[in-house]
Amino acid sequence: MKKLFRKNIIWLAIILLVAFTFAVACNKEDPPPTKLGDLEDTPYLPQAYTILKPAYFPEIPIPANNPMTKDGVQLGRRLFYDPILSADSTMSCSTCHLPAGSFTDNKAVSTGIDQISGRRSSMALLNLAYVTDGYFWDGRAKTLEDQALIPVEDPIEMHNTWVNVVEKIKKHPTYPALFRKAFGINDRAEITQELAAKAMAQFERILVSSGKSRYDDFIGGNFDALDEEEIDGKLMFFDEGAQYSLPDAQCFHCHGGVTLTGGKFFNNGLDSVGSLDEFKDLGLFETTGNPFDKGKFRATTLRNIGLTAPYMHDGRFQTLDQVIEQYNDNGFGVVNEGAFLNNIGFPNGDGTYTGLTEYQKRALVKFLHTLTDTVFINNPDIQNPF
Amino acid sequence: MKNTTLLLLLLSFALLPACGDKGVEDTGVNFDITFKATFDGVQLEKNKDYQFGNIPMFVEACRMYLSDITLLNGDKEIVLSEIEYLDFTPTNAVSATPTITFKNVPEGEYTGIRIGYGVKPSLNAKRPSSFPAGHPLAIENDYWSGWSSYIFSTLDGKADPENDGSKNLSLAYHCGSDAVYKTFEFAQAIHVHEGEAGARISFDMKKLLTLADGTLYDIAAHPATSNSVSDVTVAQALTANFGRATTVEQ
Repeated sequence: MKKLFRKNIIWLAIILLVAFTFAVACNKEDPPPTKLGDLEDTPYLPQAYTILKPAYFPEIPIPANNPMTKDGVQLGRRLFYDPILSADSTMSCSTCHLPAGSFTDNKAVSTGIDQISGRRSSMALLNLAYVTDGYFWDGRAKTLEDQALIPVEDPIEMHNTWVNVVEKIKKHPTYPALFRKAFGINDRAEITQELAAKAMAQFERILVSSGKSRYDDFIGGNFDALDEEEIDGKLMFFDEGAQYSLPDAQCFHCHGGVTLTGGKFFNNGLDSVGSLDEFKDLGLFETTGNPFDKGKFRATTLRNIGLTAPYMHDGRFQTLDQVIEQYNDNGFGVVNEGAFLNNIGFPNGDGTYTGLTEYQKRALVKFLHTLTDTVFINNPDIQNPF
Repeated sequence: MKNTTLLLLLLSFALLPACGDKGVEDTGVNFDITFKATFDGVQLEKNKDYQFGNIPMFVEACRMYLSDITLLNGDKEIVLSEIEYLDFTPTNAVSATPTITFKNVPEGEYTGIRIGYGVKPSLNAKRPSSFPAGHPLAIENDYWSGWSSYIFSTLDGKADPENDGSKNLSLAYHCGSDAVYKTFEFAQAIHVHEGEAGARISFDMKKLLTLADGTLYDIAAHPATSNSVSDVTVAQALTANFGRATTVEQ
C-alpha cells in the first residue's frame, strides 16, 4: 500500500512537471506580467507639436482633452500604418488611405479583411481638423477621436475588436513605451482604445494642405501660375466671373472656404428617385433620422481632387469630366437636392439655367487640377514609418 | 531682520491677487439671451411644411451673424458681444434655440437693445485666418472669397409656387458684403439683475420675406440672392426686413 502510494506520488509529480513545462511553453507570447509602474523607466517628456499650415488657413482647432505632442503624433502615425489593428493583421488604415491618392485607395469602394466590399468609397484624409459637422460620408462620428475607433470593429473593414487590439498592443515589444512617451501612462495596463484613438486623431490632424498647389501660388500673387483657361475655371468655381461674361458653376457653395471642404451634407443630384425612400444609400439619414437627409452625403474637400478618383460616395464616376457633366444637368428636381444644384450656368429667365458650354466645363476641370498638392502627399512626416 | 523678512513675505502675499486681475473690473452678473428662429410665430423646423401666402415651402438652412449686440439706456451702452454666430438648423437636429450667456453685465434697468445684422465692416474686412480657432469668424465655410465678405445670413429652402405638389423651386438667400450690413434698435425694458430671467430674441422668417407694406416677397420671381457683389438688391431688401422680423422679450 505504501509502495503504491509512493508510486502514485511520483507519477503525479511527473504529470505536474510536464503540465508546468507546457504551460510555460504556451505562454511564451504572453506579455511580461503587468506590474504597477512597469513603464516608468521610459522618460515622459511631452513636447508640443505645432501643425504646419498655410498662413491664410484658419487656426486649427485642437480639443482640450487631446493636446498635440510630438510623441502623440508619432504613435498615431505608427498605429495608422500598422496592420496590428485588423483581426488577421493584414490591414491597416493606410490600406484604404494611401498618401499617393491623397489618402484614398483610388477604388470605387474598399474591401475589408474578409474580402467583402464596402458600400462607400474611402474618403480623402486632408484638412480633417477643420471638419465641423461630422466625419465619414454620413457624419456618424462627431470627432476625429470618435472616427478613429470605428473602422477597427467594422465587420467589413478590419473586423476586429478593440479588446483584441489593446491586448496585442500591450504585448507588443515597443508600443507600450510609445504610449508612455505619448500619454505619460505608468504601466501597460493603462493602454486603452481611447488612447490609441487619441494618438491616431493627432496624426490625422497634421494632414493639412501645404499651400503649395498651383492654385495657392496664384492666390498668393503669382498670376502666371494659372493659364487663362484655368483662371476662367476659377472664376466660375467661385462665382467671380460676371464681369467676364462667365456663368456661375455654383461649386463653392458646397465646397467653400480656403480648404474647399465645406463639411456640410447635400443631396448633390446624383440619382433621379421618385421618393426619398428609393435612395440605395440613405447617407446622412442613417445618422440623423431626418427623412430629408436621405441621399445626402458630406461634401468632400476638393483640394487634391485630381488625385482621388473615382468620385462620389460610391465611386461611380471615373473622371472629373464625368462629374462636371453630371452637375451640368442641373439636378433631377428631387425635393432635398442642394439649393444651388439647379442653377448652374446663366439664367434662362424662366427659372431654368443654361448649364455650361464645352469650353466652360473643360476650364472648370482644368482649374480643379490646379488644386493638386504634391508637396502634401510627398511630405516625409506623413509617410509609412515602417 | 527676522521681522523684516516676515513683513516682506506678508506684503508679497497681499500684492499677489492684485497682479493676477490686471485691473479688470469683475463686477456685474451673467445675463442670458435665448435666440430663436420662427416661421409665422411658431418655432422654425428644418424641412417642415409652411404656407407662404398660397405657396407651400420649407426651410432647409437658417444661419446668421449678429454684430455689436448692445444694451441701451440713454447715454449708457453696454456691448454684450462684438460678434455671434447662430445656427438654427444644425446638421444633427431639426431646430436649435441657442442660449448665450454674457458675463459681467452691469446690473440695472435698460430701455432697449441694438443689434447689427451681419458682420460689421471692421470685422468683415478680415478673414477667417485672422481669428483664433473656435471664434465665430474662424468658420471658414461662411466666408465668401468672391465677395471678400462673410455670408451674413443664410436662408435656404424649397417652394412650390405652381402648387403642383412639387417643391422644386430652390430658395437660396445668402446675404453678405458691407452694403448689406444693417443695425436696428428695439425699445424693450430689459432688467439685468442677479437671478432675473434672461431675454428672448426671435427672428421670424415669414416676416423676413414680407415687405414693409405687408405684401409677401415675390419668392417665385426672386428665389435667390444675386451672386454678383455689384447686385445686392435682393440681399438688401431682405436685410431691411430684419427689423420687423425681430421680436425682443423678457
